Amino acid sequence: MIRFLRAYLRRHAYALRVTVSQLLRAPLSTLMTIGVIGITLALPTGLYLLIANLERMSAGLDAGGQISLFLKRDVPESAAQRLAERIARMRAVERVEYISREQALAEFKRLSGFGEALNLLDRNPLPSVITVYPTRTSRPEAVEALLRDLRAIDAVESAQLDLDWVRRLHALLALGERVVLILAGLLGLAVLLTVGNTVRLAILNRREEIEVMKLMGGTNAFIRRPFLYSGVLQGLLGAAAAWLVIALVLALLEGPIAELAALYGSDARIQGLSPGATGYLLGAGALLGWLGSRISVGRHLRSIEPN
Amino acid sequence: MIEFSHVFKRYPGEYDALKDLNFKIERGEMVFVTGHSGAGKTTLLKLISAIERPTRGQALVNGRNVGRLAPRRVPYFRRDIGIVFQNYRLLFDRSVYDNVALPLVVAGLEPREIGKRVRAALDKVGLLSKERLNPIVLSGGEQQRVGIARAIVHRPSLLLADEPTGNLDIVLSEGILDLFLDFNAHGVTVVIATHDQRLIRRAGKRMLVLKHGELVHDSLGPADILQ
Repeated sequence: MIRFLRAYLRRHAYALRVTVSQLLRAPLSTLMTIGVIGITLALPTGLYLLIANLERMSAGLDAGGQISLFLKRDVPESAAQRLAERIARMRAVERVEYISREQALAEFKRLSGFGEALNLLDRNPLPSVITVYPTRTSRPEAVEALLRDLRAIDAVESAQLDLDWVRRLHALLALGERVVLILAGLLGLAVLLTVGNTVRLAILNRREEIEVMKLMGGTNAFIRRPFLYSGVLQGLLGAAAAWLVIALVLALLEGPIAELAALYGSDARIQGLSPGATGYLLGAGALLGWLGSRISVGRHLRSIEPN
Repeated sequence: MIEFSHVFKRYPGEYDALKDLNFKIERGEMVFVTGHSGAGKTTLLKLISAIERPTRGQALVNGRNVGRLAPRRVPYFRRDIGIVFQNYRLLFDRSVYDNVALPLVVAGLEPREIGKRVRAALDKVGLLSKERLNPIVLSGGEQQRVGIARAIVHRPSLLLADEPTGNLDIVLSEGILDLFLDFNAHGVTVVIATHDQRLIRRAGKRMLVLKHGELVHDSLGPADILQ
C-alpha cells in the first residue's frame, strides 16, 4: 500500500516537473495564455467588485425608507404613545418617532403658512402620526411585510411607505448581479476554450512523444497528467493575473474616487477583493483550467495511437 | 512466448497484409522475420506489440490474446516488451539519460532504481559517457544504441526490432547484432524483422520468410538444414 502510494506520488511529482519545464520552455506563449485568461477573468471580477461596492454603499443609505402611520382620530394620546412604544419593540424596526396631534398642527402651521386659516377651525383636523424607521439592513420584502403588519393594527387609519426609489435601486443592483453572473458564465466558457486550445496545440506538438510513451507502456492517465497539470497551472496563474489587473485598476481609481466622494461629503472608499473572494477567483481559475484541458485531452489523446 | 494460429490481418479497404499465419516462437528463442518490402514483416511486429489487432485468428503473446486485450490493459501488456525502431524514435527535447529512463518513469520506479538501471543499460550499449548529451548530436549508430538501451532498460522478456540496422552501415550493423545476440544469450526472446540476409546468415538463427503476407518458409536454423 505504501509502495503503491509512493509510486503514485512519484508519478505526480514527475508530471508536475514535466509540466513546469514545458511551460518554461515556451515562456512567451505561456505568458500570453496567462494574460488572456487574466484579462478574461478580470472583467466579471471587476464588475462584481463594482456591484459589491455599490451594494455596500447603498446599505449605508436609508435603504428601508420610512413608514408613516396615521392614527385614527379617536385614539387617545396615551394609547397612541403606548402603541408607538410597542411598535418600537417590533422586529425590523430601528426606531419610531411619535408626533401628537398638537405637534402635527403646530408643525403644519409653521410650515404651510395657513396658520391663520387653521385658527378658524373649531377642532384639530390632523391625526397623530407615528414615523417608523425600519432597520437599515432590511430587504424591501421585509419592509413590505412590516408595512402589512402595521396596517393591521386597529388604531391605524392608514400607513404610507415611499419605497419606490429603494426598490429601483435594489432592482438595479439585482440586475447588475445577474449581468455579472451571465458575463462570468460566458467568460468562463472563454477561459475553457482558451485553455482547451492551448492544450490541444501542446498535444499536437508532442504527438511523437505521446506515441513513444504509449509504446513504452505509458497509460492514458500517465500521459494525460502533465496536460491536466498545465491546464490547472495556467488557469491558476491566469486568475492571479486577473487579481493583479483588478488591484492595478483599483490603485489607478483610488485617487479620483476619494476626490469624488469628498465632493459629496462622504469618505466612501472602494473596497478591493476580500480574501474569500480572492480564494473563489483562484479556485475558479484552476477549475476552469482543469476542465478545459480535461475536455481537450480527452478528445485529442484518443486520436493519437502509434502506428 | 508467441503463438499465431490462422492469423489474418486486413487493413480497411486494402488487401490482406497477413494471410493465415501459423507459427510458434518459444521463450528464449531468437527469430528473424524476413521478406521483401510489403511482405508483412512490420505488420507482424505490430500484431505482437498490440499496435494492431488481428482481423481473424488468434495471436497469443506472453500468454495473452492480443485480439481480446482490453485497451486499458495494453500499456501493462507492453511493459514486458521492448521495441527497437528503424528510425530510432528518440525524443530530442531531452537527454540520452531521460530517453532511456522513459520506460521506467512510465512504470513509476524509484529514482534511485531508475538511475542504476539506466546506467547499466547505457553501459551495456557502450554509451555511458554520453548520458548527458542530447541524442540529436549522436551518430546514427549511437542513436540506435540509445534506442536499444531504452528497449531493454525495463528488462522485458520479449524484444522486438523492426529493421534495426536499416539505416546503418555494415560495421555498425554487426555491432548492433552482437547486442541482440547477447540479450538472447541472457534469456530474452528476440524477434527481428529485417531484409538484411547477411545479418541473418551471420546470426545463424531461425528465420521466418514472408511473401505477400503468407509464411512461405520457416527454417529452424542452420543446424536443421545440415540434417
